[in-house]
Amino acid sequence: MIWSLALQSLRLRPLRTFLTALGIAVAVGSTVIFLSLGEGLRQVFAQEIGGIGPDIQVSYGPFDTTALTAVPALPLRFARELAADGARYGVVRVTPIMLYARGGFSPGSSFLFQGLPPTVDVKDIYFDYEVVQGRGLGQGDAAARVAVVGEQVAERNSVGVGDTLRLNPENSLEIVGVARSGGGLVDNAVLVPLGSLQRAIGIRDRVSFLALDLAEPARAAEVAETLSEAFPKLGFQTQEQVLRVLERGVRVSDVVRLGISAIALIVGAIAVANTVLMSVFERTREFGVIRAVGAKPRFLFGLVLSESVLLSLVGAAFGVVIGRLGIVAVNRIAQDLIGLPVAALTLRLGLFAVAIAFLMGVLSGLLPAARAARIPIAVAMSRE
Amino acid sequence: MSERLEARQLRKVYRDPGGEVVALADFSYTFPAGAVTAIMGPSGSGKTTLLNLLAGLDTPSAGAVRLGDATVSTLSERERAELRLRRFGFVFQSYNLIAVQNALQNVAFPMGLAGVGSAQRKQKALELLGRFGLETRASHLPHKLSGGERQRVSVARALANDPDVLFADEPTGNLDSKSGRVVVAALRQAATEGRTVILVTHDLRLVDEVDRVLELADGLLQRERVPATVSS
Repeated sequence: MIWSLALQSLRLRPLRTFLTALGIAVAVGSTVIFLSLGEGLRQVFAQEIGGIGPDIQVSYGPFDTTALTAVPALPLRFARELAADGARYGVVRVTPIMLYARGGFSPGSSFLFQGLPPTVDVKDIYFDYEVVQGRGLGQGDAAARVAVVGEQVAERNSVGVGDTLRLNPENSLEIVGVARSGGGLVDNAVLVPLGSLQRAIGIRDRVSFLALDLAEPARAAEVAETLSEAFPKLGFQTQEQVLRVLERGVRVSDVVRLGISAIALIVGAIAVANTVLMSVFERTREFGVIRAVGAKPRFLFGLVLSESVLLSLVGAAFGVVIGRLGIVAVNRIAQDLIGLPVAALTLRLGLFAVAIAFLMGVLSGLLPAARAARIPIAVAMSRE
Repeated sequence: MSERLEARQLRKVYRDPGGEVVALADFSYTFPAGAVTAIMGPSGSGKTTLLNLLAGLDTPSAGAVRLGDATVSTLSERERAELRLRRFGFVFQSYNLIAVQNALQNVAFPMGLAGVGSAQRKQKALELLGRFGLETRASHLPHKLSGGERQRVSVARALANDPDVLFADEPTGNLDSKSGRVVVAALRQAATEGRTVILVTHDLRLVDEVDRVLELADGLLQRERVPATVSS
């Protein structure tokens, strides 16, 4: 009975209800958009790391959110030592990988170069790697200034097989192929023979990280632990651990984004409280009548709180729709710039938005509800 | 026959910046069941204060209100709400229907509070509306009803939980004479069914329609009259 009465009360004042719900919708919508960036990053990470072949990744020092430095730091001798000693630990292949980012004024003009030994089959690292134009890197490319560009890079920069990419004033690379992978790492990267990339940027004995393939991938965690003891200067991480570190980083950014969203949410909550409080003042006499005919104070408390919660939930529903539209727009821009959908509306984000709106409804309804429940009947009945 | 409603040495004092205002002083009376008792007097004589105290809408500064064995004035807020719900009915001057509910929902409302099931509430509400010639107006919101119709809905709502005592505050105050007669007839009918009916009114036309008249002035009971036409 309380809910239907609350709904009827909101419907009686459609414009006020609409405007307040719109305020909440905007607050919830902006929260959804902000938080969807974290959800999108999680999805990208899960897809990318899940699509990377090595059972263990090796970094120089412990792997944390600062592990991916701009300058390759891992001495190449560790690759040789691991390759020589690997059999003892069940390591069947050690692949040195170099990452080199060349920034631009916009994401579209930035490039991520990945140096790989030409002896490596790229499919061993990126399971769903596929050459869509030209050819891949081969054994004969060890010292060649050639590159295979990701499909997104080719599209954004309108380049293709036969074109030249300038790495720096002294070094240019000829594009011999265009490739793609399920996620965005290959799509947004330029694959270059490791030796060529080292020479081009003047770093000969260091790489970014090592990729280890194991004879028994299921034992990755155990092997990583053993290797950590044998090579204390290195960090050994399974895919799961890498994801966990990345998740920690995303969570920190979640908190920051939630903090920004909180401002909008607080403004929305104040709007709800104001609307409900105004409604309580206007209906003082009606509340007196409801109490006179036998309703207990808690009935009025529940009624006002229900109105506040209903208002917030209706706003939240529209807010999720606004958020969804915003995410589509953000992803469209992100696709154009970096070829990745960086925002995502997940079920848990939708439920979180509804839960936040519910909480907002409860908190903003408490004061008006308490006021309604405390109105003396005789005073309320005498109110015009 | 319902239990008797009794007031003993009832007193209500309000405090305001100018000092204490005695709204009602030492009022004692036993209201007979099965009769309509009118409380009359000029504005500010304490009529509405008395009605509020009798109905448990307000608490006295001193004295007591009893219904049978229960002392209304010492009950907790929750118990008074329960008493109003199950044993009292109210008709107000300004109808005071719930604006967002239609006639049927308004009449069914007290039954809902009392925990009566949905089907039963609807059936009884329709019966009551039918009794007051409002069956075709059941789905109308209060603002779509005439003043007379609204007051009849209000009477129907007051009777929804079969109360022992019916309180009416200026029930004909906003009505034309024809609608007023219909409402008074409904109140008389409620008394005939054994209920105690107490009404506060300025309307002198009602004097001949009630069983007893209590005249108040300056918060004091001046006299009790038994109108000739009714008593005869």
